[in-house]
Amino acid sequence: MATAVGPRALLAAIAAGAVAVLALWWHSTLSLAGLGGWLTGAGEILGLLAGYAVVVLVLLMARIRPIERAVGADRLARWHAMGGRYVIGLISGHALAITWGYAVTAHTNPVSETATLLTTYPDVLMATVAWFLLLGVAAVSARAARRRMSYETWYYLHFYTYLAIALAFSHQFAVGAAFTGSLVARFWWSALYLVVAALVLWYRVAVPVRDFARHQFRVAGVRQESPHTVSIYVKGRYLKELAAEPGQFFRWRFLTRGLWWQSHPYSLSAVPSDELMRITVQGIGDHSAALARLRPGTRVLAEGPFGAFTPVRTGRSVLLLAGGVGITPLRAMFAALSGTVTLIYRASTWQDIVFQSELDAIAEARGATVHYVVGSRRDFGADPLSATALRRLAPGLHRMDVYLCGPPGMTGNAVTALTEAGVPRRRIHYESFEF
Amino acid sequence: MRRAILAVTATVAGLVALLSFKTHSSSERTVASPEPAASLPPGERAITGNVANTAYGPVQVQVVVATSKIVKVNVLEQPESTEHDLQIGQFAFPKLIGETLSAQSARIDSVSGATYTSGGYIKSLQSALDNGA
Amino acid sequence: MPSATPSPGANAVTVQVRHAEHVMGTVVSFDVPVSARHDGSLDAAIRWLHWVDRVFSPYRADSDVSLLARAEVSVDACAPEMAEVLAACASVRDLSGGYFTAAPGGQFDPSGYVKGWAVERAAALLAGAGSADHVVNGGGDVQCAGGRGPDGSGGREPWRVGIADPLRPGRLALVVAASDCAVATSGTAERGPHIIDPHTGRPASGLASLTIVGPSLALADAYATAAFAMGPARARDWTASLEGYAAFAITGTGATWHTPGFARHIAAV
Repeated sequence: MATAVGPRALLAAIAAGAVAVLALWWHSTLSLAGLGGWLTGAGEILGLLAGYAVVVLVLLMARIRPIERAVGADRLARWHAMGGRYVIGLISGHALAITWGYAVTAHTNPVSETATLLTTYPDVLMATVAWFLLLGVAAVSARAARRRMSYETWYYLHFYTYLAIALAFSHQFAVGAAFTGSLVARFWWSALYLVVAALVLWYRVAVPVRDFARHQFRVAGVRQESPHTVSIYVKGRYLKELAAEPGQFFRWRFLTRGLWWQSHPYSLSAVPSDELMRITVQGIGDHSAALARLRPGTRVLAEGPFGAFTPVRTGRSVLLLAGGVGITPLRAMFAALSGTVTLIYRASTWQDIVFQSELDAIAEARGATVHYVVGSRRDFGADPLSATALRRLAPGLHRMDVYLCGPPGMTGNAVTALTEAGVPRRRIHYESFEF
Repeated sequence: MRRAILAVTATVAGLVALLSFKTHSSSERTVASPEPAASLPPGERAITGNVANTAYGPVQVQVVVATSKIVKVNVLEQPESTEHDLQIGQFAFPKLIGETLSAQSARIDSVSGATYTSGGYIKSLQSALDNGA
Repeated sequence: MPSATPSPGANAVTVQVRHAEHVMGTVVSFDVPVSARHDGSLDAAIRWLHWVDRVFSPYRADSDVSLLARAEVSVDACAPEMAEVLAACASVRDLSGGYFTAAPGGQFDPSGYVKGWAVERAAALLAGAGSADHVVNGGGDVQCAGGRGPDGSGGREPWRVGIADPLRPGRLALVVAASDCAVATSGTAERGPHIIDPHTGRPASGLASLTIVGPSLALADAYATAAFAMGPARARDWTASLEGYAAFAITGTGATWHTPGFARHIAAV
């Protein structure tokens, strides 16, 4: 369960690391004088922070289970995206400040200093190539560019960041003032990089392979729930060891032609048993069509469980608010929660409603209430999920824990309405699907 | 966009704070008085140059002169704050001193020697002269 | 890389300009009055050197020297300067008893004369445009005109040319005061034993460097090459016999000697 503690603790740890890095600069610098000194000093600080920040960025996406559990995959991805932009700025600032600072100290102009740096300083050329690689990755990751390319293309291009980090590493030690004179600094810096590399290899390579071997995931069957929605049943062994909680998701890679090179996150749409899991995927297009054609027996590489979007046991009544495909994790929660539960399921048309019979059955079995809010805004004439409407659908709303899942626009509006209806921010739990 | 401006401002402010703390600990010294070094033989004079504040620390050089010829160069102050500085100092200063006594103090205008190639030129004394040494 | 340094002197400050030109496989350094930069004589001198490179370089397949070496042309078909160079080489060959040759190892290559001759001509171009004080250094062989600056009593202080110590790189063995004359040095220091004794066909040994001082750099260069190839014993007597030219040598063991005429050129030790 994601509380406020996890994210804050992680941020504090990252900040502490940054302070340690600044202390490293402080310790290795005697005194500065003049414009050249200031520029070079600024360049050194920016460089050290950048060298640290890239490691943090890698760590955020390393799929480290305890961190994902405490902070949430979506939040980690958002931080990574924001941090990525900042790091590009750090690196660019570093390159420019160092070049200018060196030029001033050497009484030459920045153009000839650039040439000197590139041709005579060890490993600087590689680091510059790394810089341009990262600029390229940044350009490709910009929203405008991502709209034009497939997710997979962007994803694999993004791996060039590892190459960039490798290329730039050596220049830190070869010309970095904080490192050239201190074996201790080089040791700890190398240790930092090695530890993160080990974590990446463990969590992104070793663990999935180990789980694949242990649990033997295979497609058990496929069911079309509605014209655009298909459920995939995945069987395996010892699934209880995974300890997947309702609301969590896995990253699925179906090992069949056309799908093996893609990995997608899908939430469990039912509480898993020791031998069977179910995911439900909605979509139009080649990918969904390919999923619908999955043959039983197809091997699956499943990474997980991930996600901080799980029920918190507080004894309060619960409101589940689902929009469109957001029903998927909430369907799993609906079956698992105890106590008084209300489910509001918003969709544009009845065609989009899935699991209706299951939801009704669960509701009847445990005395829960399901409200299907189906139709377009125009049909309703007003926002059917306004604060007033929500208070009417879920009496006592302001005392409830609310779990919310849906498309970004819907979740944004819902959070506003819930707050307006008196639900404290800390009792509104949601997971953003856009990552 | 607002976050970006905030991030940039905070970074610049942090940089300025850190850098100004470090600048505070350096002092501008301007000394040019010839100090008679007590233990010099008669006829020799020591001339001490200003402290030059380089990016790596202060450097100060003293030249001992006898009848218009430089006979000795003393390095009074050199950067010693990091291992890197000491390493460089170890080979740079003797080289500097040696060069001062060979080509520089002889005040020559050109160097005649066995023919150097374009590559050899760079390391030659002639190259030092051409580059305004 | 040009840099301008005002030459020492009380009243008239003449600004000298330095320029280093990569040509003929080496670097030619110029120290000229700034007027040479403006009146085009520096450019003309540089163009001249590049022309010599194109015509006389043994490393270009299409130079006159290479074509002559392969007997693909006759001397008449070459540039007129070729005949002049060949005649001069023959003269020095005769004077040195064959120790200077335009065909070392059997292959036609007058470089031992051409470099000094090209630099001397370059300096002459500068003089022709009106420069009275300049130094042109072609990879270690120097042609001087005039001096470095007023000496306070109406004359000019001679240029100071350092002679590189072949046994201790980066240091000088001697400083020569040169006014209107040339200083040429042959030796092993920079490129290893590359001077072949034509009579034995093997690298000349015994001397580490030999310097000739005299009016013409072309001849000084050729004489230095010849004397170096002769070895210490013969070189001493032969260089002493040269009219108007003096020699200074450093042996492989660090001992030095010079011919009587050399003493007046020494500026400082």
